[in-house]
Amino acid sequence: MQTIYIRFYAIMTPSRYLFVWILGLGAMVCANADSAKIEFFEKKVRPTLAKYCYECHSAKSEKVKGGLLLDTKLGIRKGGDTGPAMVPGDLKESLLIESIHWKNEDLQMPPKKKLPSAVIKALESWVKMGAPDPRTGQTVVKDEIDIEAGKKFWAFQPLDHAEPKVRKQKWVRTSIDRFVKAGLEAKGLSPATDADKATLIRRVFFDLTGLPPSPDQVEGFLANDAPDAFEQVVDSLLASPQFGVRWGRHWLDVARYAESNGMERNAAFPHAWRFRDYVVDSFNEDKPFDQFIREQLAGDLLPGETTDERMVATGFLAMGPKSLNNRNSAEFKMDLVDEQIDVTTRAFMGLTVACARCHDHKFDPIATEDYYSMAGIFKSTHALFGGGGSGVRQTTKLLELQDGRKEPGEQKINHAKLMAESQSQLKLLNKKIASLKKEFKGKYKLAPEYKVTISEIKKTQAELKKNRARATKSKKQTGALAMGARDGKPEDAKVHIRGNVDTLGKAITRGFPQVLDFSDIEIDPSQSGRLQLAEWIADPANPLTPRVLANRVWHHLFGRGIVSTVDNFGETGERPSNLPLLDYLAARFVENGWSVKKLVREVVLSRAYQLSSAHDPANAKIDPDNAFFWKMNQRRLDAESMRDAMLAVSGRVILSPAEGSPVQKMDGNIGRNPKQLEELRKAKLDNRSIYLPVARQAIPEVLKTFDFAEPSIIVGRRDVTTVPTQALFLLNSDFVITQSKALAEGLAQVRKEDQINHAFRLLFARLPTSGEKIRTQSFLDDCMKYEDSELQAWTTVCQALLASAEFRYLN
Amino acid sequence: MSIEEMNFSRRHALQAMSTGFGYLAFSGLSTMAAQSYRNPLGPKSPHFTPRAKRVIFACMRGGPSHVDTFDYKPALAKDDGKKLKEFGSRKLLQSPWKFHKRGKSGLEISELYPQLAKHADKLCVLNGMYADIPNHPQCFVQLHTGSFQFVRPSLGSWALYGLGTENQNLPGFVTINPPSRVGGAQNYGNAFLPAIYQGSRVGSLGQSLKDAKVENLANKRLSEREQRKQLDFIQSMNRDFKSGHQENSQIDGVIESYELAFRMQSALPEVMGLKGEKQSTLESYGVGNSKTDGFGRQCLMARRLVEKGVRFVEITHSSWDQHGGLKKKLGDNCMATDRPLAALLADLEQRNLLEDTLVIWGGEFGRTPHIKKADGRDHNSTGFTFWLAGGGVKGGMRYGATDEHGIKAVEGRMHFHDLHATILHLLGLDHEKLTYSYAGREFRLTDVHGKVAKKILA
Repeated sequence: MQTIYIRFYAIMTPSRYLFVWILGLGAMVCANADSAKIEFFEKKVRPTLAKYCYECHSAKSEKVKGGLLLDTKLGIRKGGDTGPAMVPGDLKESLLIESIHWKNEDLQMPPKKKLPSAVIKALESWVKMGAPDPRTGQTVVKDEIDIEAGKKFWAFQPLDHAEPKVRKQKWVRTSIDRFVKAGLEAKGLSPATDADKATLIRRVFFDLTGLPPSPDQVEGFLANDAPDAFEQVVDSLLASPQFGVRWGRHWLDVARYAESNGMERNAAFPHAWRFRDYVVDSFNEDKPFDQFIREQLAGDLLPGETTDERMVATGFLAMGPKSLNNRNSAEFKMDLVDEQIDVTTRAFMGLTVACARCHDHKFDPIATEDYYSMAGIFKSTHALFGGGGSGVRQTTKLLELQDGRKEPGEQKINHAKLMAESQSQLKLLNKKIASLKKEFKGKYKLAPEYKVTISEIKKTQAELKKNRARATKSKKQTGALAMGARDGKPEDAKVHIRGNVDTLGKAITRGFPQVLDFSDIEIDPSQSGRLQLAEWIADPANPLTPRVLANRVWHHLFGRGIVSTVDNFGETGERPSNLPLLDYLAARFVENGWSVKKLVREVVLSRAYQLSSAHDPANAKIDPDNAFFWKMNQRRLDAESMRDAMLAVSGRVILSPAEGSPVQKMDGNIGRNPKQLEELRKAKLDNRSIYLPVARQAIPEVLKTFDFAEPSIIVGRRDVTTVPTQALFLLNSDFVITQSKALAEGLAQVRKEDQINHAFRLLFARLPTSGEKIRTQSFLDDCMKYEDSELQAWTTVCQALLASAEFRYLN
Repeated sequence: MSIEEMNFSRRHALQAMSTGFGYLAFSGLSTMAAQSYRNPLGPKSPHFTPRAKRVIFACMRGGPSHVDTFDYKPALAKDDGKKLKEFGSRKLLQSPWKFHKRGKSGLEISELYPQLAKHADKLCVLNGMYADIPNHPQCFVQLHTGSFQFVRPSLGSWALYGLGTENQNLPGFVTINPPSRVGGAQNYGNAFLPAIYQGSRVGSLGQSLKDAKVENLANKRLSEREQRKQLDFIQSMNRDFKSGHQENSQIDGVIESYELAFRMQSALPEVMGLKGEKQSTLESYGVGNSKTDGFGRQCLMARRLVEKGVRFVEITHSSWDQHGGLKKKLGDNCMATDRPLAALLADLEQRNLLEDTLVIWGGEFGRTPHIKKADGRDHNSTGFTFWLAGGGVKGGMRYGATDEHGIKAVEGRMHFHDLHATILHLLGLDHEKLTYSYAGREFRLTDVHGKVAKKILA
């Protein structure tokens, strides 16, 4: 039989087309086809396939299973997701044959009933004779994804923000108000009253800096009747270095910033803190956000001088949790790539591209090919995360900084020490063998301890060897180091069928998801494409990036996004409650040079931001979730703000940045050493909470208890829970009692008759009502009866005030 | 305000609470929650009639050898020392222990478990278990959360989320002496579920329960009475704060969580100690005997907790990782767990708790019947054994099987996902319906997997 030449043309769609067509254009050359064989097919094979298989595996199937079509010659040979269904002449390699034998539990066809043995034999004979098959026709695999239709989804549309008309002009103070008011009017909602000044200043202080206003700052604002009094406060807060601490932390939540790997090998990341400082500085400088994006994804590749700062920024790509003890390097790499795709697409664009790793995205117009087009970019990138510690099989070097400041007291993994330890252990084991020899004279090999000792020797030797190798590897790594990324060999990634590293499909040219075709940026095949990816994401025409970021800002200022699922702008996410408002904010953001500070400023100066949080039954009936922002949401302080506020009112807070991190002195597996764990969980540091160590699985108790963002995953919106462990923390923890005592000591400096007033001003930015004053006094008097001293009594009172809901809620 | 008024306020608050305004917080369900808040730990109706109301999971960390305990392989004895083609130079190693038919059911159990074997007719032995990778950390985390690649809520958290708990003075999910490695807190973590569903950890691996404690359970400065006064003051402040915001369920939650926390302070230490247990009970669990004291205390504590209405209790014994020293170490492990487990089953039965308490025994995988060296077994995730008892499973039953040597599960195969689906089913929960919406996606314990093993249901 003459060879049959079959050529496949995989035509990747320009995104205009509805389907991905895989056309098999066969030059059918079949001159000597044996007619008897064909007859065998027609009589014995075709009817079987039609009767038992076509229901799920033909062009007419309602739903093609496993991507496999058996109704054409091309289909049966090309196969489905698990590879060719049939290899002519080879029974063993033919999955079709394997499946009909029902020997492999995971592969039994037809699924309901095994075929009669005569039928099985006939199919085997057919394969053995070379599988003659006269069927022609194209194999058309219709892709589920309809890219063109997908483009119509709101989030992929360009920004559109025509100013709406509102009926009650008078209420409107800024452009934002116009959009909010139009949204309210459309729903029959009316805005709440304006918040009082004391509420407002407490609100804006926490929102912009994560700290409470001092009594003097409150007084000053209340006394300032100038029309721009609030503006003055806002501008001073935006200029304060505490702004970057607060807003930097918001970004660290999204960037899943952590100082250790987490997972089963929780290797320390002793250099991660540099990324934290980079983020805080970037927000303080009001670095244009598009630049911030480019630096984090491709700081090492940007034109111009590659500064340390830009190198550190790429730590964004290296910080994810990884299966460090995975033996399978290919799998490790693709898991790493997957995590990078996930964080990149969700953090900046609210797009869940990572869902398309094993199959086309079930909801959004993202094809598996789109996933692998991005996977190639990260496959061509080395993430440098360092590593080390026992059981860690995957390690890398780190970035060497040029003139970065050296960490105070930084230690590297001391391989020399580890090697010395192994050596002394070896000595001991050898001694043991010697004593066994002595004891058992010639028969020592029969002693059970002998085998154990020998196996331990082998193990120790292996450990020694490994450490020696690592020591050589990291030898040249001195000075200031950082996590980050650099380019590797540029290569396209192949489709991993069902996400499996062992079943590879075709290679996909590096690029970007087809549904977003707003730009002409193309990837030079000789480069990784990371730089182009960064440009593409930060392109002002990208409809997602500015929307997602404007929404994040809104979320932090209102306690709810215009799109409430802040990390998911896809089909399964929520729809924007006020799209024109979102688009206005996004467009303004870009127009103002991607300035976060300008955006924050504009939002907090709107009347909408300055509304009271008071309840309104009529509005609540229409919009119980306040999705349209008819009032300010009452919000609980996040863990950091609560802790920082306690430190602030007790007068203990250190506002300057902490140098480095407690983790930089650690290496190897965090958590193996209970003392180390305790050191991390109970970290004693009076700096702001952003400087507490964030080792995965060892989050400081005060943060963990109050819903700190799980640092293994992207968290644009934190949980807000109210659990008894929080109450226990407030009632009994050393931390709260320490702050209460310090607060009491501070109050002791105030005139007696002013103490209660002062306490309320410090904690709640207001004076007590007369009822509260009497109640507090009577509680204090009560405490005096059983406490040893006035200071002790005041400590109990101060703790109660710190533990009250009002202290940790914003109206 | 006078003291009388304060007392009145407190009474008022308690009244309000007993009429059910309280909630703790149910983030993620805001639309529903805004309309009708409910205590997220309050008992909830399952999807269908449950066969088990509570769970005790005895986790055998390290991967216990199935062919030496609950998976009898006569062919292994016959072929002792033989090499199998696909395993190169490794030789089959017969079990050094004998198996006997036990109970009316004639279930074959090895002589390593003489006490537990007396309860053979209560055991439902799952011989067809399998998992994905023969690596401790991955398998251990997957056993607990269904996924080793992503951080996902643990089995206990899902159970608590689905069912709430029956004792409002105690946490609903307690894990005793969990390992800090192999995933650490991930194994009892809530991940994206509200934090209230995370397991409360008591002690850590290797620590005796004698010394275990829960954080911040006691105030170093104030007596209970003094603290109650302080709390009354806090609560009066909270109520005032709330009154500015009618229908303010957030602050209701604060108020109620303070009350539960206050109650936990006295309820938790009480259940943590072993007060009130008869000497004979202590002995039956092996408390006081150096070999069995550690795990005996855990089993007894587990019973005390479920008896008080705690929904999910996990206890851990470690380590079952016998690459070498099989004869001695596996023997020791079984001795350490045999009496306590037997006592647990007997005690639960005697208190009429066994019928609706599901007891689970197993580890992250099993062990190979073949080995290069003598006297050891390596990791085997292709076939191993769990057993269940009580709460709605058939007793004296064997479900699933490995091949003749115990290498691979060939019949009644059950992945962790299937085990999870089955456990949830026994608790009255449909694993496909128990979902949580997070980041715009519906998540479930079994992801897209999981089949309930219907044949084992009583």
